[in-house]
Amino acid sequence: MRKIQWIITGLLVCLSTGFALAKDYDAHTFGVRGDGITVNTASIQYAIDYISGHGGGRLVFTVGTYRTGSIYLKSDVTLHIEPGATLMSTTNPFDFVKDKDVNWMAMIFAKHQTNVGITGKGVIDGRGFETANNMTNYIQRGVFADSLLWDRAREPNRPQNIYFRECKNVTIKDITLKDPAGWNQTYDQCVNILVDGIKVDAKSYWNNDGIDIVDCDSVVIRNSYFDAADDVICFKSHDATKICQNILVENCVGRSSANGLKFGTVSRGGFKNVVARNLTFFDTYRSAITFAAADGGTVENIVVDGVRAVNTGNAIYLRIADRWSKGKQPVMKDIIIKNVYVEIPAGKPDAGYPYEGPVEDLPRNISPSGIVGLPGHPIENVTLENIELVYPGGGDPFYAKVGLTPEELDGIPEMPQSYPEFSQFKELPAWGFYIRHADGIKFKNVILRAEKKDYRAAIVLDDVKNASFSEMKIEEPGKEKDDLKDKIFPYKSENISIK
Amino acid sequence: MTKFLTQENVHAEFHSTIEKTKDKRMKFIFPLVIFTALSLTGFGQRYKSSLFGIKDDGITLNTTSIQRAIDYIHENGGGVLEFYVGRYLTGTIELKSNVTLHLYEGAVLVGSPNIYDYNINSPYTALVYANKAENIAVMGKGLLDGQGRTVAYNLVDQIQKGLLKDDLKYDRATTRRPSVVYFRECKNALVKGIQVRNSAFWVQIYDQCNGLVIDSTTVHSEAYWNNDGMDIVDCKNVTITNNYVNASDDAICFKSHDPNQVGENVEVRNNVMRSSANGIKFGTVSRGNYRNFKIVNNTVYDTYRSALALTAPDGGIIEDIWVDSLYAYNTGNAIYLRNGDRWGADRGPGEIRNITIQNVYAEVAATKPDTAYEYEGPIEDLPRNISPSGIVGIPGHPITGITLRNIKIIYPGGGNPHYAYRGTKPEDLDSIPVMLSAYPEFSQFKELPAWAFYIRYAHDVTLENVQFVARNRDYRPAVVVQESKNILLRQVKYIEPGGKKKQLFTYKSSDVKTAP
Amino acid sequence: MFRIWILTVVVYFGFFPSSEAKDYNASLFGIKSDGITLNTGSIQKAVDFISEQGGGRLMFYVGRYLTGTVILKSNVTIHLEEGAVLVGVPVIYDYFHNGDFVSILYGENLENVSVTGKGVIMGNGNALLAAITEQVKNGYIQKATSSVAPGLIQLKDCKNVLLSGVILRSSLGEAIRLDKNTGITMKGITIENAGLPGAGLLLAGNSSLVVADSYFHTSGKEIIYAGKNQDVRIENTKNSTGRKLK
Repeated sequence: MRKIQWIITGLLVCLSTGFALAKDYDAHTFGVRGDGITVNTASIQYAIDYISGHGGGRLVFTVGTYRTGSIYLKSDVTLHIEPGATLMSTTNPFDFVKDKDVNWMAMIFAKHQTNVGITGKGVIDGRGFETANNMTNYIQRGVFADSLLWDRAREPNRPQNIYFRECKNVTIKDITLKDPAGWNQTYDQCVNILVDGIKVDAKSYWNNDGIDIVDCDSVVIRNSYFDAADDVICFKSHDATKICQNILVENCVGRSSANGLKFGTVSRGGFKNVVARNLTFFDTYRSAITFAAADGGTVENIVVDGVRAVNTGNAIYLRIADRWSKGKQPVMKDIIIKNVYVEIPAGKPDAGYPYEGPVEDLPRNISPSGIVGLPGHPIENVTLENIELVYPGGGDPFYAKVGLTPEELDGIPEMPQSYPEFSQFKELPAWGFYIRHADGIKFKNVILRAEKKDYRAAIVLDDVKNASFSEMKIEEPGKEKDDLKDKIFPYKSENISIK
Repeated sequence: MTKFLTQENVHAEFHSTIEKTKDKRMKFIFPLVIFTALSLTGFGQRYKSSLFGIKDDGITLNTTSIQRAIDYIHENGGGVLEFYVGRYLTGTIELKSNVTLHLYEGAVLVGSPNIYDYNINSPYTALVYANKAENIAVMGKGLLDGQGRTVAYNLVDQIQKGLLKDDLKYDRATTRRPSVVYFRECKNALVKGIQVRNSAFWVQIYDQCNGLVIDSTTVHSEAYWNNDGMDIVDCKNVTITNNYVNASDDAICFKSHDPNQVGENVEVRNNVMRSSANGIKFGTVSRGNYRNFKIVNNTVYDTYRSALALTAPDGGIIEDIWVDSLYAYNTGNAIYLRNGDRWGADRGPGEIRNITIQNVYAEVAATKPDTAYEYEGPIEDLPRNISPSGIVGIPGHPITGITLRNIKIIYPGGGNPHYAYRGTKPEDLDSIPVMLSAYPEFSQFKELPAWAFYIRYAHDVTLENVQFVARNRDYRPAVVVQESKNILLRQVKYIEPGGKKKQLFTYKSSDVKTAP
Repeated sequence: MFRIWILTVVVYFGFFPSSEAKDYNASLFGIKSDGITLNTGSIQKAVDFISEQGGGRLMFYVGRYLTGTVILKSNVTIHLEEGAVLVGVPVIYDYFHNGDFVSILYGENLENVSVTGKGVIMGNGNALLAAITEQVKNGYIQKATSSVAPGLIQLKDCKNVLLSGVILRSSLGEAIRLDKNTGITMKGITIENAGLPGAGLLLAGNSSLVVADSYFHTSGKEIIYAGKNQDVRIENTKNSTGRKLK
């Protein structure tokens, strides 16, 4: 762990050196108009090219609404969007480029550039709902080829707000990112990224993530606020030869109709050396914290320290799966999660938000947190310390039931090919934690509290080796015997110590 | 020295003339109409829209709640449905007898962008419609916004996907485009004070209504194609007063769709308008008759076609029309009278007779008058130099009994014969097509042989105290009279730079007289 | 008999326009006639799509269509019905520059390129000139304005070109520029460009060109010949003073 701290410190020093003093260019001087009507794509592009070719600087947008299609950011150029200024999609999908290298549409691209940034307290507004619907219309008319997935244009045909690929020294600071047509902002195989003080309001269409970091090295995300229809802070690994590593996430607040802090789903290479601290989530439909090694990648050296989540559907979900591994061995190990408080509601946490998460995997009672590996691929060395999880309890066996008999426990499917999600197994036999195929699990000072009596055990262990539970507190009203050993149910497990 | 050299003189002349020429033939019942309509809206219980759960957030679709409110008020003896500041999204609503919609300042009735929220299977497709209702009104300082461009695009989208059938003439939907207001066969209807804007079609239609007052409204109709300002179709006892109209198609337009109907007793007073088509227009669809219209003190500016156009191609007769005090600035054409033989069927060609037009000042533009307005008029009928005003009948059905008095029209002149040429030789004049069934438009003949006024197939026409000014030398004479008879030009003056030339040319005409 | 045989062969090999001349309305591609929506992306998509489908006409009906540079493709006809106006956007950066070629409609190495109809292509020359002047003043454009002045139609290395009926107005550069094309027919073209510096027609290295029944009103020269043009016929074409052009 000391190694991680050292890396993070280095990262911060590296990013804080920042840019040299750069020249400011008022966008208007390039004929860019903030009238909300003029489509400025070509003029903004010319301005960027010009600034990049003349020693770099900031292209400054003052108050106004600047409509644009796809633009490419170039080295040494920062788009500075002042308060009251909005860079806004034209909503015409034919104004957007599907970049041939990344095979995706976006409003602001950068590829192979150094020292690029988007700053200022203004807004980038993808008008995603309109843009996506316009795209669907052209697909239905037969003039744009797309097979429609779930009756929506496929993700690459819906423009993101930002897509940076293989860039170095990226600064995203202060801006508000609104309403993309798909993913919101993706940084793919970039090095040295600072995301600081941004606001995300992304719930205008399907797949509206907050932020996606794909196979990047040296990333700081901090002091930011996210409200997203899909995952909030999301790390991915698309390339089996790459890895997403040396990451610091701190002081962020998020709301999601999917997950809060998520690593995966696409996880071909993996995630290494991550510190996530002081995060708050609320009204979040799925898990506050979730890690997936679903595609043959490695997840290791992770510290999550200080998470508070209220009205959130699930606390913690760690999962190994074997989806697109292509022979690679998935690994998940050396994970410390500490100082976590989560309140899980009985109802739907994201009810009433636009683009609510789907109601699925029913029937099931409120799902427990999970640490679920695969046979032969256990999740290794996970420490949970100073954790308090409040569940509604009240699991009703007449609605859905999985008991503790060997048949029932063995009857829970392994689902190696499935999309990893805390609810994927439907009903589970525990209300607090379900741990399966794991080795080296340490629970210390973990409080699990059910607000109502539940028919299930608090914790179920299945095929777990070397687990220790110390300073545990499990509270559930109406239980006749208040003995930890009755609440923790080991099955096919060895070397379990409960103190 | 003529006293017509300045605009002020013209105006002064008008006011004295207005007093002298009060028309005693016309028996208007307008004051009565206004009285009944206004008194109606003063009475009746008042209902706030929130009572019916109508939401002002601009997101909630209120169609059914507003309709319920109207039905309720209608069933309970009538009254006023009040909308306060806010945005009220709605699809088609039907106004019923004895109900007033009162939109207070800041209240906007917003048309749903979804074409299926409108009564597209009705012939009266509109945001607010009424059919055979009595004593209805829409008033207040609020706004009706049809969101017409979005609605029209969404309609085209449904057509392009094959879900609605339409042959997309001119690449636009031919049917189903909603108006903002459509009143059919209503009695005592009042529209007052409100702003009407953004229609997918003609912005407001009043069809076979009796007793209609449109007063002090503001019309912004530039959202889409065919955005007329107001269409008065086969209505009786109408006053249109104190309105401002900005329209991408005709501004104030009188139509007749039914050969058995007569549009009559209409007063149009104190309106200001601009159009990317015509200012005040009769037709084009003109199946029934028009009579007894009084059009007084109106201003037309930045208008692409004619300030005043009377067209009768569909069998209807336009007669007893009194136009007084018309001011037109930056207009493509001043006056155009034209009948034709288009859709008249058994009725045969349309007729125009007994028209008086007096006290007119018009400035015709050298460049496109509606440049930079939204939905500009099309560039068409080229090549032609600036077109003259015209009275153009058809063989066997001349336009008759026309008096033009106290008129001044200023033209840019500058006609270039190498660009487009129509001389005054017999073969040139005989080559001007008759165009019996063509869409009537001042530019329809392309190049004409006169720069100021072209008269053909007309009888009993008097031009009295008329002045035509060309700013630049033109290759054409000012006036050509062709195949007409009994034409009197008294005190007609021509002012054109570049020396004297013959300004009046007559051809195959009889009894063409000039008098000092 | 011989003729029938030829026809049969032609039909058999599919040279005969069987997939030809399909008409596509502009609205299919969401091209807007409101005069304020910048349609470049949509018109380009339409041209590309029609070309991929084997060719046809892109139909513009009455209305104003704002656009920047559209790159033409083989077998695609831009058809402007009477009243349709293709309006050049007055922003220099919306025009695609290829060397000293820059125009609203641009084509290179194509076959069967047509612009037809009675509509108008309008360059918005004065507004564009003002925009360019401002950019030069701000120091963002280095070259003299003349070398970046967009024209209306420019074609290079194309075969079988038809320009018919359209009215070309207010072009900042040459209204039409033709370089090294073969088989060009221009019929009933009206160029109204008085008050702007651009010439009417620039011809460089073309072969087999007919200009007929046209009218050019320009402040600059009506026709500029550059390079060697072969087999050029100018028939019944005059300028604003009535002089027959050669």
